[in-house]
Amino acid sequence: MIRRTALLEMVPVESAELESWIGSGWIRPQRSDGDWLFDEIDVARVQLICEIRRDLAIDESALPLVLSLIDQVYGLRRDLAALCRAVAAQPEATRTAIAAMMAQAESERS
Amino acid sequence: MAADDPYAILGVKRTATEAEIRRAYRKLAKEFHPDLNPGKKEAEARFKAINAAYGLLSDPEKRARFDRGEIDASGAERPERSFYRRHAEGPQGRKYHPGGSPFEEADLGSIFADFFAQARQGGAGTQGRAGFRMRGADRSFALEIDFLEAARGAKKRISLAAGEMLDVTIPAGFKDGQVLRLNGKGEPGLGGGPAGDALVAVHVRPHPFFRREGDDIHVEVPVTLAEAVLGGKITVPTIGGPVALTIPKASDSGTVLRLRGRGIAAPGRAAGDQYVTLKLVIGAPADPELAAFLRDWAPRHPQDPRRKMVES
Repeated sequence: MIRRTALLEMVPVESAELESWIGSGWIRPQRSDGDWLFDEIDVARVQLICEIRRDLAIDESALPLVLSLIDQVYGLRRDLAALCRAVAAQPEATRTAIAAMMAQAESERS
Repeated sequence: MAADDPYAILGVKRTATEAEIRRAYRKLAKEFHPDLNPGKKEAEARFKAINAAYGLLSDPEKRARFDRGEIDASGAERPERSFYRRHAEGPQGRKYHPGGSPFEEADLGSIFADFFAQARQGGAGTQGRAGFRMRGADRSFALEIDFLEAARGAKKRISLAAGEMLDVTIPAGFKDGQVLRLNGKGEPGLGGGPAGDALVAVHVRPHPFFRREGDDIHVEVPVTLAEAVLGGKITVPTIGGPVALTIPKASDSGTVLRLRGRGIAAPGRAAGDQYVTLKLVIGAPADPELAAFLRDWAPRHPQDPRRKMVES
């Protein structure tokens, strides 16, 4: 957990810009007596948004779409990981059957 | 090595202008940003290399020094950083789950919730979209019954939360701890799959005086001195109700008498028996006349019932 001042030193972002990202719900730090507290995922996300804006030169107006797609991808990947864990916990015969179905789906796609 | 050459990494000529280098960098950065390529293992290394190359070539002074061979390509490595994807794929990534706000911890809406809900509505299975067919989950219940209900068999009813009733038939001779499986009384199946089963774990409460051994019933019955000495008919309880039992003359305390067929009549098995153990009771306080009689009584055949125990 780091405070806003520490974050502003670490990541090249303007204070006002950061506030507007928080206001839009793109960054969700914790409120703590008048300040914000950022945990690791928040810091990494601020850095990511900075890079999308500056290095990748993606327009501010396109940012919500980009973030929404990113969040959807990670949501799907977490769900997929949960599914993989559930499959891994199944008996061997079940896992083999699932693997066979996956291989079939793969071959139909190509 | 070409891989270490920042010009090769960005794919630009050594004569490229600053604008060309920036364009090349942006194009590659978009392609290899690790957070935009969560599944691509090599993306992070490529992205770091691209950044290092751009850090070098975007700075005219460093670029000139590199061109002159004064510094090597690793001169502008960025400090270690932790990429967003490292966090986003872990449980903490749920914070930015689409549709969920950080203040609704309980909202675990996921692709699977939609998936199962759809299957439950029976909508799946048409239009070539493979229906998700699954047997319903089993439901577990606990039930406590009386000794006599277990011995004789009974019909019980379990009330469920939703006003639903579950009728349970206890067969005669039911043992404590046995689990009854009621086919199809569990959770409904998905996509046309069969329902699960209800599993009822039955606990049998002990009886104040009946005891069970297999299909036989054991009971201890108190008898008076007169009944034990003189014999006669007494009434004893059985699991089927009171019955008459003849006590032979001069029955000792602890004598076991059998009532054939009065035990548990489990379906498909011969009925068990009931064993009655006589227990001599003097009654308290002892009858003063009986005490007076015994004091004055001189037995014709004196006996010591403990003789064998104290000899040796």
